[in-house]
Amino acid sequence: MKFASTLTGLLQREGGAADPARAASGRLGRQGAPARELDLLLIWAAVGLLLLGLVMVYSASIAIAEGSRFTAYQSHYFLLRHAVFLAVGIGLGLMAFQLPMARWQQLAPALFVAGVVLLVVVLIPGIGREVNGAQRWLSLGPVNLQPSELMKIFAALYAADYTVRKLDVMGSFVKGFVPMMAVILLVGFLLLREPDFGAFVVITTIAFGVLFLGGVNVRVFVLLAVVAVIGFVILIWTSPYRRDRIFGFMDPWQDAYGKGYQLSHSLIAFGRGEWFGVGLGGSVEKLFYLPEAHTDFLLAVIAEELGFAGVLTVVALFALVVHRAFIIGREAIKLERYFAGLVAQGIGLWIGIQSFINMGVNMGLLPTKGLTLPLMSFGGSGIVANCVALAILLRVDWENRQLLRGGRA
Amino acid sequence: MKKQRAVTFNHNPLLKRELPAWRPRIIMLALMGCSLALVGRALYLQGVNNDFLQAKGESRYARVLEVPATRGRITDRHGDILAVSTPVRAVWALPADARLEPAQVRELARLLEMNVGELNARLAAGRDFVYLKRQVPPEVAQAVADLRLPGIHQEKEYRRYYPGGEVMAHILGFTDLEDRGQEGIELAFDKRLSGRAGARRVIKDRRGQIVEDVEAIRPPRDGDEVALSIDGKIQYLAWSALREAMEEHKPKAAAAVVLDVRTGEVLALVNAPTFNPNNRANLTGAQLRNRVFTDAFEPGSVMKPFIAALALERGKVKLNTPIDTGNGRMTIGTATISDTKRHGVITMAQVVQKSSNIGTVKMAQQLGAEEMWHLFDQLGFGTPLNLGFPGETSGRLRPAKTWRPIEQATMSYGHGISTSLIQMARAYLVFAREGELVPLSLTRVDGTPSSGRRVFSADTARQMRTVLAMAAGPGGTAIRAQVPGYTVAGKTGTAHKLEDGRYARKYISSFVGFAPASDPRIVVAVMVDEPSAGQHYGGTVAAPVFSRITEGTLRTLGVAPDMPLTPLQLARRGGDEAASEGSSRESM
Repeated sequence: MKFASTLTGLLQREGGAADPARAASGRLGRQGAPARELDLLLIWAAVGLLLLGLVMVYSASIAIAEGSRFTAYQSHYFLLRHAVFLAVGIGLGLMAFQLPMARWQQLAPALFVAGVVLLVVVLIPGIGREVNGAQRWLSLGPVNLQPSELMKIFAALYAADYTVRKLDVMGSFVKGFVPMMAVILLVGFLLLREPDFGAFVVITTIAFGVLFLGGVNVRVFVLLAVVAVIGFVILIWTSPYRRDRIFGFMDPWQDAYGKGYQLSHSLIAFGRGEWFGVGLGGSVEKLFYLPEAHTDFLLAVIAEELGFAGVLTVVALFALVVHRAFIIGREAIKLERYFAGLVAQGIGLWIGIQSFINMGVNMGLLPTKGLTLPLMSFGGSGIVANCVALAILLRVDWENRQLLRGGRA
Repeated sequence: MKKQRAVTFNHNPLLKRELPAWRPRIIMLALMGCSLALVGRALYLQGVNNDFLQAKGESRYARVLEVPATRGRITDRHGDILAVSTPVRAVWALPADARLEPAQVRELARLLEMNVGELNARLAAGRDFVYLKRQVPPEVAQAVADLRLPGIHQEKEYRRYYPGGEVMAHILGFTDLEDRGQEGIELAFDKRLSGRAGARRVIKDRRGQIVEDVEAIRPPRDGDEVALSIDGKIQYLAWSALREAMEEHKPKAAAAVVLDVRTGEVLALVNAPTFNPNNRANLTGAQLRNRVFTDAFEPGSVMKPFIAALALERGKVKLNTPIDTGNGRMTIGTATISDTKRHGVITMAQVVQKSSNIGTVKMAQQLGAEEMWHLFDQLGFGTPLNLGFPGETSGRLRPAKTWRPIEQATMSYGHGISTSLIQMARAYLVFAREGELVPLSLTRVDGTPSSGRRVFSADTARQMRTVLAMAAGPGGTAIRAQVPGYTVAGKTGTAHKLEDGRYARKYISSFVGFAPASDPRIVVAVMVDEPSAGQHYGGTVAAPVFSRITEGTLRTLGVAPDMPLTPLQLARRGGDEAASEGSSRESM
């Protein structure tokens, strides 16, 4: 298998740091053969986030798992599930890595349609599972599938495919922009019916981001961006539920035990953490005060237990992942592999925007909405989707390197 | 396929124009800007605004926790422990969390010695919190904890243990589940015993479990130890004397009190029936009653010596003044006063010795009503002792202005006036203490005893001691009050009980006296309520109890005998005669 040989090569080259000539040539320009076959920086950053996520999910969930009947009072309930999801995600990622980007491009429309179908199915009463007033899950035996998480990958793939196909008409509003617009409106409508406002924001950002990167007319784009912003504002103002969340974010201390409850506890967790945190496992906020500590508000627990140092590490690792994704995308575009390049940047945009929104929410910079921290928060579909997305990113990188060496993607 | 596509792609002339390279850079910059914003915000929250946020957090989960103080011990005058707090545990449940298997419920019920049905009912109660059982011994609590049942919790509490059991029950009283005094000394000295709870600042999780101990605000101050005036040995022998009387005479109730003449300390205070303070299930009011303090009764003849003393003090009579008691019947208005026996002309001392109602009334008639009231008042009748005991009675002493002549007459022999046993015992201190009265004390008096208030002259007191010694000697009503080796003095009382405003054929037999008669150390008062085994005279029912208590007490105190240990002059045959004292009834 290609991947197996890649890994062996990777390990050999890792061990080969003693060979100064090769290392030096790797650092020298892009014309020489790359010293490594995969982007190690990206891998280490992602692995770091995944492992830190695993530890922090355990730490954040231990008290609620131990104290709840629904988890049968097992302290490792969430740890065990997160580890299994991670294993499944890595397994699926290895499989995704095997698939050439050309194949992904072929599959993109079909996957997107499948994603839309799943989004419709999840809305059918009796099939979609409702939790806390949101119908977002499909019950698949022992696990639940969240189609909106998969839709994020599919949206990145489809938007890239669409852009590449319509590259020549990107300047045209009607031909280049409107069809995508219609598709996104459909997906957006389905997501808001669940409702899953967070996924809606992320998927819209991915789709329009890729379109923007693909060269859509700037004036049209700006115009539409303005329209979109107005749309968001209308959406927010028409739903009391979303408006409340906005007010909670503006001043959590106004109604600290009501609407601002969750955010105020998140902020307290940050304040308690100070520079180096209260120590792993020492969080008080996770002891039933901070709701969703192991999912949406995982960063607050990191901030309390590991302090500013921990938060800085997480922000830096995400920035590194996003940065590498864009670099990989740029490399691909330079090699005129536009689809691969746009997919890579789309994935970078996804991880960047979702992590920013989640962390911004945790710190009270953004209104509270249900978005997990990519690669870290507890949640099966999310972790699996993130792992597959990383695998695709690595595939793009690997193909880039193969081409640069004169091989074929 | 792949190749073909690649060729198509690369040869598409429309793709010659490159994707704009500035756009990803813009997005990258924007995203990196976002990261910087996050870092900046984190810096602000964690490095600048952290004090404010921590204060907010404190206000949410820091709690000031009470640290219970240990209740002080109660000891007797020698330091022997009479009441002590031992740590136990309360087992409680959060019914919502306590989903137990039937087998688990059975096991829990077995350990807690509860009914399975009752346990299920408690767990099914629609409350957030429910006590399953309180005051659970530590070893049982440990066994419950080892079951590791969900939703079943424990907390530390104290249980009061009374080593003396029923012997000390009435004097000590008891505490409730919250460790607050409810009766007796526990209530009277609750402030001193309970101490002051301390406070700690802790952090609690949202379910109330303490997760961090932050600081001690104030250490708990344990309750003070209270050393009672009670002497454990004397208390015990008084209690066993009383128990014997309960068996012999089958009365409704009985009580006794022993006072130290020099200090006014209460050396023993017993009641029967009694109860076990360590197991207070199925208690009745009769068992709980501390009759020494709470029951006022018409004392009967034990009142006579005070009238005699007042007449003596006022110079109306001398010990050898002859008084004509006639044929044993005397009419005042429409009422008739009678003696049990006709005594004819006898001396004033004999009036007391033989307990003649008529002789006493004749002395009282030489005194003014106001004068008599003043005496009673000085002796403490009609006024509660204020020792802090719950339910202490003041007795009943009507104002002198309202007295009719017949009432003044009956009051002289202890009817129409009521006192508690402890009031009467204290009043006898005037004879034992050279005419002075001192306040009583339930706690050990370590310094010099408080000085008394003079009621009679020392001379009157001395003369009365002679008279009262005669009453407890040959020819008196209470020959069975005698104690081998010691001279004793005292007076019997056999009072009819008032029922619904009429005197019934039910009696309260009493004896109040002191010993040794030559230099008194103790006052002992005994009351037996409704003896029902045939005997009812104070001389036959109460005097033997007095004798037993007095003998034991004097030996315990190490008082030197003031009489050779010759065989008692108590003649069996004389018993009935000696007991034929002047009980009387008002017939109106």
